[in-house]
Amino acid sequence: MPEVRLDGVRFSYPGGADVYPEPGLSLSLDGGAVALVGENGAGKTTLTKLLNGLLRPRAGSVRVAGVDVTGRSAAAMAPVVGYAFQNPDDQLFERTVRAEVSFGPRALGRPPAEVGPAVERALQRCGLGGREDVHPHDLGLSERKWVAIASALAADPPVVVLDEPTLGQDHRSRQRLAALVATLAGEERLVLVVTHDMDFVAEACPTAVVLTRGTVRFTGPTADAFADEALVAEAGLRTPHVTRLARALGLGPCVTEADLLEGWTVA
Amino acid sequence: MSEPALVLDDVTYRYEEAESDALAGVRLSVAAGEWVGVVGPTNAGKSTLCLAAMGLAPHFFGGRLRGAVRVFGSDSLTVPVPERSADVGLLFQNPFTQLSGARERVDEEIGFGPECHGVAPAEVDERVADAMRLVGLEDLAGRHPLDLSGGQLQRLALAGLLAMRPRLLLLDEPTSQLDPAGTEAIFDVLTALHERGTTIVLVEHRLELLCEVCPRVIAMAGGRVLADGAPERVFNDEAVLAEAGAPAYCRLARAAGLPPPWPVRLDDAVAAFGGRRA
Repeated sequence: MPEVRLDGVRFSYPGGADVYPEPGLSLSLDGGAVALVGENGAGKTTLTKLLNGLLRPRAGSVRVAGVDVTGRSAAAMAPVVGYAFQNPDDQLFERTVRAEVSFGPRALGRPPAEVGPAVERALQRCGLGGREDVHPHDLGLSERKWVAIASALAADPPVVVLDEPTLGQDHRSRQRLAALVATLAGEERLVLVVTHDMDFVAEACPTAVVLTRGTVRFTGPTADAFADEALVAEAGLRTPHVTRLARALGLGPCVTEADLLEGWTVA
Repeated sequence: MSEPALVLDDVTYRYEEAESDALAGVRLSVAAGEWVGVVGPTNAGKSTLCLAAMGLAPHFFGGRLRGAVRVFGSDSLTVPVPERSADVGLLFQNPFTQLSGARERVDEEIGFGPECHGVAPAEVDERVADAMRLVGLEDLAGRHPLDLSGGQLQRLALAGLLAMRPRLLLLDEPTSQLDPAGTEAIFDVLTALHERGTTIVLVEHRLELLCEVCPRVIAMAGGRVLADGAPERVFNDEAVLAEAGAPAYCRLARAAGLPPPWPVRLDDAVAAFGGRRA
């Protein structure tokens, strides 16, 4: 399993305060779909950028899939951590969707016979079949986000980071995204989803990591996180709609629509 | 009776070099003081509706607009966008697009619009302070706009619009990059503006939120208006549910096999599910 181990990690942006206060951030994750949630400024995106070497810790260690990230460049981490940025425009620069999605595996020196099928699979998974020759900037925000996700997947990394993937997505796209997260998790990858979208967390991520002001406040089953009203309040989360309805109906803790329907039918 | 804030009279619009119409025969009228939500899938025409209402389509984007867009009674084809921006504020989906690029401090960026419109300096200062307080940016007044996070940038973009004191606000997913507390704070601001008479057109994918705040919802798909009315009516229309999706409570009620009308808010959902069980 593609384990992530952070131990006593300290980091600050130039001129900024410590993102992770004493004794530093420690976190241990194995595979599966994991939501990373917490208020703006809690340190979520910083954490994910430490995983792929975009940011370097001042102290502590970061290991991903057995690789010590400290001292490695973001390029060297690319085959290990696939990263889809919150704003796809921070990421896209090629002239066609296919060129964009192929860039990662090609830059890694993978043989063409391997790149072609990997790119094809990433495009299909992201619903971009038929859009290969379009200029990424001729696409709407939703499709540009999908190009960014496909690019993150093309090198077949064991860890995939999706930063606010549901932003700007319509309901069909959200369903596709939930299905993709489940598929990737089923392939024994670690899919780390950074999001404020509590309904998506509830539906798509069985495990949650809750950050409050740079401290890991909770790691465990998503259902337990949302059942803890003090935690939800302290971390600035909101209870998913399914959980609210289940609670109002006096059903047990539910986070997915299937949970609620099952609980209601039995009751 | 006052002029409607926004009228689209059989509007068809096609972007330059596009192969199909972004808006196709859209007819709608928004009364002054209304708060209307707009929903629909990607490429439904929601953002184009905002651009047409602002006049950017066709004044900035070119293309061809047939029919008429009237804002507070005046035809958009005859009103230049800079003039329109005194009355109408459009918040783009990507807040970065909104930055002037000409100011290096948050407070100066917020004052840029009124300054360009020749508002007296003392009043600009007052409007800037007011707007910063409303969106909670006071502590970041001296920061460079490019140093802000996505969520902060989104609040900056909104503050810049509020400083113009527009009568009509067109908001394209205004809180997409904000955390739940930030989102609620912005919706509190919008509620207060609505109560003071500002007309609001809100494009929003979070249907549950939309159903809480908007007494009226317009559902679009393929450049057309699919349904227009109270949320509980619009989200009981099969064509809308297929295209725009359903708020969580409505989706759950349908999946549970409850008969329509399906609920769009929590209290109605509790009644629908609870009543069924008892």
